[in-house]
Amino acid sequence: MTARNSVAAQAAPALVEGKGLVRSFSRKGGWFSRSGAVRALRGVDLSIHRGEAVGVVGESGCGKSTLGRVVLGLAPLTEGQIHFDGQSLADLSGPALRTLRRRMQIVFQDPYGSLDPRRTVGAQIADGLIIHRLCAPGEVPEKVAALLEQVGLDPVQARRLPHEFSGGQRQRIAVARALATRPDFIVADEPVSALDVSVQAQVVNLFSDLQAELGLAMMFISHDLHVVRHLCDRVVVMYLGLVVEEAPAADLFQSPAHPYTRALLAATPALTRRSSEVPRLVGEVPSVAAPPSGCGFRTRCPHAQAQCSQSIPGLRPVPGAALRKVACHLAEQIAT
Amino acid sequence: MSGARRWRIARVPAALVAGLLLCALLTPILPLPDPVKQEIANRLATPSAEHWLGTDEYGRDNLSRILWGARVSLSVALAASAIAALIGTTLGLLGGYFRGLVELLTVRASEVVLCLPPLLLALLVVTLLGPGATTLTLALSILFAPAFARLAYGETLSARELDYVAAQHALGAGSPRILIRTILPNIASPLIVQFSLTVASAMVLESGLSFLGLGVVPPSPSWGLMIRGARASMEMAPLQLVWPCLALTGTVLLLNQLCDRLRDVLDPRGQYGAMAGRSRRPATQSNPARSTDSPKASDTHEPLLAVQGLTLRAGGDAPDALELVREVSFDVQAGETLAVVGESGSGKTLTVLSVMGLLPDAVKPVGGSIRLRDRDGATYDLLSCSEESIRSLRGREIAMIFQDPASSLNPLLRIGEQVAESLTAHGLREGVRPRVLSLLKAVGLPDPEQQIDAFPHQLSGGQRQRVMIAAAIANDPSLLLADEPTTALDVTVQAQILELLNRLRASHRGMSMIFVTHNLAVVNEIADRVCVMYAGEVVEVGPVSAVFKDPRHPYTAALIRSTPEGEMERLNTISGTVPQPDAMPSGCRFAARCDQAKSSCASGGSPELLEVRPGRLSRCPVINQEFA
Repeated sequence: MTARNSVAAQAAPALVEGKGLVRSFSRKGGWFSRSGAVRALRGVDLSIHRGEAVGVVGESGCGKSTLGRVVLGLAPLTEGQIHFDGQSLADLSGPALRTLRRRMQIVFQDPYGSLDPRRTVGAQIADGLIIHRLCAPGEVPEKVAALLEQVGLDPVQARRLPHEFSGGQRQRIAVARALATRPDFIVADEPVSALDVSVQAQVVNLFSDLQAELGLAMMFISHDLHVVRHLCDRVVVMYLGLVVEEAPAADLFQSPAHPYTRALLAATPALTRRSSEVPRLVGEVPSVAAPPSGCGFRTRCPHAQAQCSQSIPGLRPVPGAALRKVACHLAEQIAT
Repeated sequence: MSGARRWRIARVPAALVAGLLLCALLTPILPLPDPVKQEIANRLATPSAEHWLGTDEYGRDNLSRILWGARVSLSVALAASAIAALIGTTLGLLGGYFRGLVELLTVRASEVVLCLPPLLLALLVVTLLGPGATTLTLALSILFAPAFARLAYGETLSARELDYVAAQHALGAGSPRILIRTILPNIASPLIVQFSLTVASAMVLESGLSFLGLGVVPPSPSWGLMIRGARASMEMAPLQLVWPCLALTGTVLLLNQLCDRLRDVLDPRGQYGAMAGRSRRPATQSNPARSTDSPKASDTHEPLLAVQGLTLRAGGDAPDALELVREVSFDVQAGETLAVVGESGSGKTLTVLSVMGLLPDAVKPVGGSIRLRDRDGATYDLLSCSEESIRSLRGREIAMIFQDPASSLNPLLRIGEQVAESLTAHGLREGVRPRVLSLLKAVGLPDPEQQIDAFPHQLSGGQRQRVMIAAAIANDPSLLLADEPTTALDVTVQAQILELLNRLRASHRGMSMIFVTHNLAVVNEIADRVCVMYAGEVVEVGPVSAVFKDPRHPYTAALIRSTPEGEMERLNTISGTVPQPDAMPSGCRFAARCDQAKSSCASGGSPELLEVRPGRLSRCPVINQEFA
């Protein structure tokens, strides 16, 4: 499933196109201390084509969740532009943006926090249908039932409250709510991280089926490389608010080009091998509030040289691989 | 809890409040004496058939005045609170939701009122408008509105960040819809409590202002005026003071009760918290302990820790008690790492907490034993020995690290002090700081000389977990319990912590470890043997490599197959969900989800945990049958 539609899709205009995305939070100082800005995204380019599943991976603080919200216009941008199907989100008025929201949806990580505890799941799934007047009021219960069936739940459960469901079932409800508006694009923000292994597999399969059946474009945010590899066509690796590598999933896992991607793969525990032999990455992710000069990864990188602290490496094509990009000054040297 | 059942808990206070309101409403048509009619000859009369509660200093009927007074007091308090709640909540909602200029105009503006002393403000309003019930209501609502605004504002601020509010935005819902349908119902609970408190304090303040002559104008009856009148003749007729005070206190308590119950009723999730809070075992056992504690001599082949038939119940011996863990048995050899793996609800954390003697209040061991051999070769049964001996074993022989290092460290203490605590608790008095430093070095905390004086919030998650580990290994325990210690960490940091634990195990005279996790891949990294738990039972035990290569229980096999890894096109799933403790199936607890189940699996008692091969235990009825 890897490169199956990537090449064909690259030619057509992208459904979601982000250019130079920057999101900074102002950090309020006290009356006597200076305030500063924390840049959660430091200039990210991203494009997602129709029907394509793009995985965004990275550790906490890399900006992957911020990217997800920014792309949907749920969090304001400081710099940069997002186009959805050719329309710039910044140019749209409030009502027009709300209308466009029908076509892009989100599924959150925490199945306990993403559903309103005080309303029945049926009412919450119906919200999208009612807000966008997608069907006659009389047809709403019927549509809700169909949506519940689509995600593998019993339609009679529409009248129940969220706390009566297990974590996996709630995540299915959240998916049904997102599907209600018949979106073209879904951002899934760590949707299986909070689930047990056996349930996680069910939900991963559900995403995989829905994506294939409905031709959804999907941005799948996760810290679990195994899940991303399983679900996605293309993978974007982020570190400290920047994209450090971008590649078709199979290539990325077979021959990671960026030292961070390599470290990430090596640190991921697996059933089939013990990773004790692989060299460990030292230290932890630096604070986003004070990223190192030059390449953000240089403080932990086993290959770092003097030039790495001088300039931020740009994302550039990997020699000999048309669809791959890497942001590392030393990519060529390391590759050998 | 069903809706009707939830309402039941509010029945009694609701009926009482309704009765009170009815009384107040019906006062004009009740056969009562005129509350303002004076009868000086009969002043300060004691209770009689004619005047049930006696008469006051002007010979007016006390009962009549109390009931008429209730009309005034209740209507002023309820109206003022309702107006304050309405205004305050609206301001707070808008300010918290829109922030910026709106916040300045609503919440901040209303806070100006808080700067004025309440009595002064009331005086001001009364002077401007003249005394009377309407003025009083107005003054009180101005006084109480900012409290509602602040509360609603704070609650809205946290609610607007919640995922389900973001989901409403994502659906394209407009602001009014989000405010009214999503945020307001979810911030209602604290507002309802605030309302009850406000009604109560409004009644008290109304009485106070009337007492001062700033509220209800005599001769109209009000509870405050009655207290004022009774004060003068307190020595002659102390009962006079009792009636209005009783009415005031009773009404306030009743309203508090009602609002508390209402809050519970309106929370759809019902009552939680029964499991919260950890208790040590009762201290009453400490004296006769000597005899039961007496360490038994043991030979060295005995395992370090042996858990036998451990059964844990929530609710103790009650007939509706829930069995959370059933007949759990495993042992840990010296120097060995045993992984306890299972999904949520498998009972893995409870099992480990019972080894540490830190079970939640509601959960009690009802059977089995946990035998620990200490470094002198003496054996203790941790379930029956005294709190005193447990305490001395804790830290010295057994130590524990938890999942969330952020909440397991005290945010107000420097990390050096927290590590030192575990040393001083076991008697070390001198040379504590150098020892702490060497511990922090041993766990790989960068720059320990500086960091020893840091507070937990100045450290990253991985560093905090290192500090926790330093505190745990401070006394060279022979057994380290680790409850999901890497689950909250990033993968690169998780790898570092796992490596650290492996290294410590090698360097600390063969420290044993019980490592609880839900992640099979982590088990592979760290453990020698694995104990798989499902729905409160151990279903398989064996060496890690053997179990992963050739699982002897269908649940273990299914777990392995559903772990995403490699080039699989489609993940294998386990259908259905883990059974809940109040609805445990008969027979094998996994049968309903098992692809190899036979019809006989789901009947009878739970299958036995049998040794199917040397060192391999399984609770699968099908495999056990083959083996037999």
